[in-house]
Amino acid sequence: MFKFPPGFYTDVRIEHIFETIIVYTLGRIDDCKTRDYKAAFIRLFDGCRWYYSALSDLDSIQGKIDVLASYAKSDPEIGSNPVVSKFEVQQGSFWSFKNRNLAEIAKSSKNDLLQGYFKLLKRHSNLKMWKAFYMDRREEKNFYSSKGSSLSFDMQRAGIGIIMSFARKKKTYTDFFMKAGNTFEELSGHQDECEGFIEKCEDFLKRAKAVKPGKYTVILSPEAAGIFAHESFGHKSEADFMVGDETMKNEWKLGRRVGSGLLTIIDDGNYLGSGYVPFDDEGTRARKTELIKDGILKSRLHSAVTAAMLDEGLTGNARAINFEYEPLVRMTTTYILPGNLSKEELFSDVKEGIYVEKLKHGSGMSTFTLAPSLAYHIKNGKIAEPLTISVITGNVFETLAEIDGLSNDLEIFSFVGAGCGKMEQSGLPVGFGGPYVRVKSMNVQ
Amino acid sequence: MHKEKYSEKNHQISVSVVQTQIESVRTKDIARTGLRVFENQKIGVAGVIGSYKEEELEQLAIEALEQNIPYTYELSREHQETADHVKTIIPEEEFVEEVNQLLKKLKKEQPSFSFFNKITLSESEVSLCNDLSLDLKYSDRYLELELGFKDKASANIIDGFCGYVGREYDRALFISLVNRICEAFKNQLKLPYEGKYKVIFATDYGLPMMKFIQGLNGLYFGTRSSIFSGKIGKQLFNEHFTLFQTLHPDDCLAPFFDAEGVVNPGYRYPLIENGILKSPYTDKKVAALFNLPHTGSAVCSYDGVPAIGYQQFNIQETESTLKELIGGETAIFVVMAAGGDFTPQGNFGTPVQLGLLFDGENFTGRLPQIQLNSTVFKMFGENFVGVSSDKLFPLSDSRGLVIEMDVSPI
Repeated sequence: MFKFPPGFYTDVRIEHIFETIIVYTLGRIDDCKTRDYKAAFIRLFDGCRWYYSALSDLDSIQGKIDVLASYAKSDPEIGSNPVVSKFEVQQGSFWSFKNRNLAEIAKSSKNDLLQGYFKLLKRHSNLKMWKAFYMDRREEKNFYSSKGSSLSFDMQRAGIGIIMSFARKKKTYTDFFMKAGNTFEELSGHQDECEGFIEKCEDFLKRAKAVKPGKYTVILSPEAAGIFAHESFGHKSEADFMVGDETMKNEWKLGRRVGSGLLTIIDDGNYLGSGYVPFDDEGTRARKTELIKDGILKSRLHSAVTAAMLDEGLTGNARAINFEYEPLVRMTTTYILPGNLSKEELFSDVKEGIYVEKLKHGSGMSTFTLAPSLAYHIKNGKIAEPLTISVITGNVFETLAEIDGLSNDLEIFSFVGAGCGKMEQSGLPVGFGGPYVRVKSMNVQ
Repeated sequence: MHKEKYSEKNHQISVSVVQTQIESVRTKDIARTGLRVFENQKIGVAGVIGSYKEEELEQLAIEALEQNIPYTYELSREHQETADHVKTIIPEEEFVEEVNQLLKKLKKEQPSFSFFNKITLSESEVSLCNDLSLDLKYSDRYLELELGFKDKASANIIDGFCGYVGREYDRALFISLVNRICEAFKNQLKLPYEGKYKVIFATDYGLPMMKFIQGLNGLYFGTRSSIFSGKIGKQLFNEHFTLFQTLHPDDCLAPFFDAEGVVNPGYRYPLIENGILKSPYTDKKVAALFNLPHTGSAVCSYDGVPAIGYQQFNIQETESTLKELIGGETAIFVVMAAGGDFTPQGNFGTPVQLGLLFDGENFTGRLPQIQLNSTVFKMFGENFVGVSSDKLFPLSDSRGLVIEMDVSPI
């Protein structure tokens, strides 16, 4: 299809994107549109340096390949370069959603689905402002490489989100309800759940009091645990942080104990949901990767470059947010494996603590942060009054070691309209989840 | 029927830095166009990435009128203005080599650190014109030179950031900034005491302003779901605190007009003046819906319907330098504080992953990780010290925002 210049490794990723965005504020329509376009990203490697080009004119791909080659230095032995040797060669078409193609669903059906929530939203007098949106995105990717890959596959996700802002007397509270999946069918029938969530928010608005800062035993909900796993540990398993850094290589030596023996964390691009990535943006097939097993560091996430540099296997985690960017090492669906306690057993051992049900955001360096939206006091093993908390912080490794209980159920969450950020690339769709996770001590502000 | 065209062109060259070396070079050329048509108080929009035929785009926009999206507001009209901020920062053909030289120098000057991130030279053109004689054009070129750094002996992914986004470049000045921060980093200190300190944020650091972004959004304000709702005209903050919504070229690297073609006098709009709340930020729709002042704060994607959105905020500077604001006290300069937030009532808490002790002129050393606590009303009320008249760093327009806050060890 393309004439790849000799002496280089070259790949071309062509993305055919279909998107729908429908937005209402307080029941009035703000926007309703679809996008349908093709664009491409080219990579060329001469053994020393990578050269990239992002373009929206597909007719200029060959010309751009030739221009990139003119910047680089040809290497007749490029085929034996350790990075190039790592690349998989994949051929064929792998369509997961051809029969449930989001682009073939009428815009009116998507609109009706969203409007189906308006009646219940209007019933709640404390709900002063709401913005409801439907979003979907279907990606058909074609990937060609000078090593012989010729691959086509699809990914798609759809979801509804409702941002809600409540006010009563002088108190305010803002949160959001979201349902997302890979198909349109997954989105129907969640009105009761939304109603329950609104009631919870209204109760929080009425009764929440500021937390007394201090150290508490904390139980994280499956959603909060998923964000914690993603932010506190997941980013550190992305191997590009380790390349060329001897301290990090020693610190993150496989086989090292990094958490409680109860803890196992997985990343898996095969898992359906917003982190479903059957092939990454280097044409590598998705793997199920055990990052931590029973508290021991088992493996990490890789692109071909990092896998070659650290002499480890590919994991299918080289991802770009869209055609404008090169792939970086990123997570897919990251989750904590469940344990063996029932949810009731997990709570019953806590005399006084905090239950974190929902988070606004989290971050993770050596110190992680979690910013809760819905949080509650735990008293004598029971969920008690709601609490407002600005931030929960702690040292990542100390906290991972403090995990002393996991419930026996697993929930994985999907999202639209938001995602993971790294360097200049934000909004990458990922999935995450886990069981209820109990941590002996966390610093709550 | 009226017709309005929004277009943006971005040309970019960027270099990816890994372990203080160039790993890759990327070029981007992306053009996006949106065509809006207005008829019978409705708006239809169609957009395209790349080349297009105007008649086809217009036809799609006309078809989009069928979505019945109301637009009952006066279109901006009879305003022609061009702002061209494009000047040579580094010639594009010399960019990669200049970065190479910069990194060589950094390696030599700071051998115990590794540096990483993207360095990007961007050129951007945005225009909005309509058949009512609106013709607004903005072009700019700027450098994003923000390097993450890591002590080679550290087990952290990242130890700090230094850099800036701006329209200037000088290798020696940048190296001097990096040296100031890295040298201070090497000197590990203890937190002198637990309690109140003068804390300095760069004015382009978004964290302290987070409560204003949502609380001053006219939609939340108008529906009484903001903690500031119903408080127009009230003295909520320090009498020396004045907050603008801004598209002034000195304050941001963005078009001087909003997505509805509104240009504010002096490119700024005061939302809080001398501590008194004047207005939330609004677009045409929200201003009309809630009978609020219209501040020209519409945003949209190239193919979207304009809607209310956050632009840049700017705090009125004092006449005092940073040294004068610090007044001989021990202050803490926040280099990196990730993950903090405000509660619905306005309580604020954040960890500071990298804070440097500052004596008014020099960074004297690195503090252990600390926790900052305050409330939005204290931060910009009784504990607001001011924004410095002098720049933090000669290559960027960022100033020092000084606030007294409670500081404790983590």
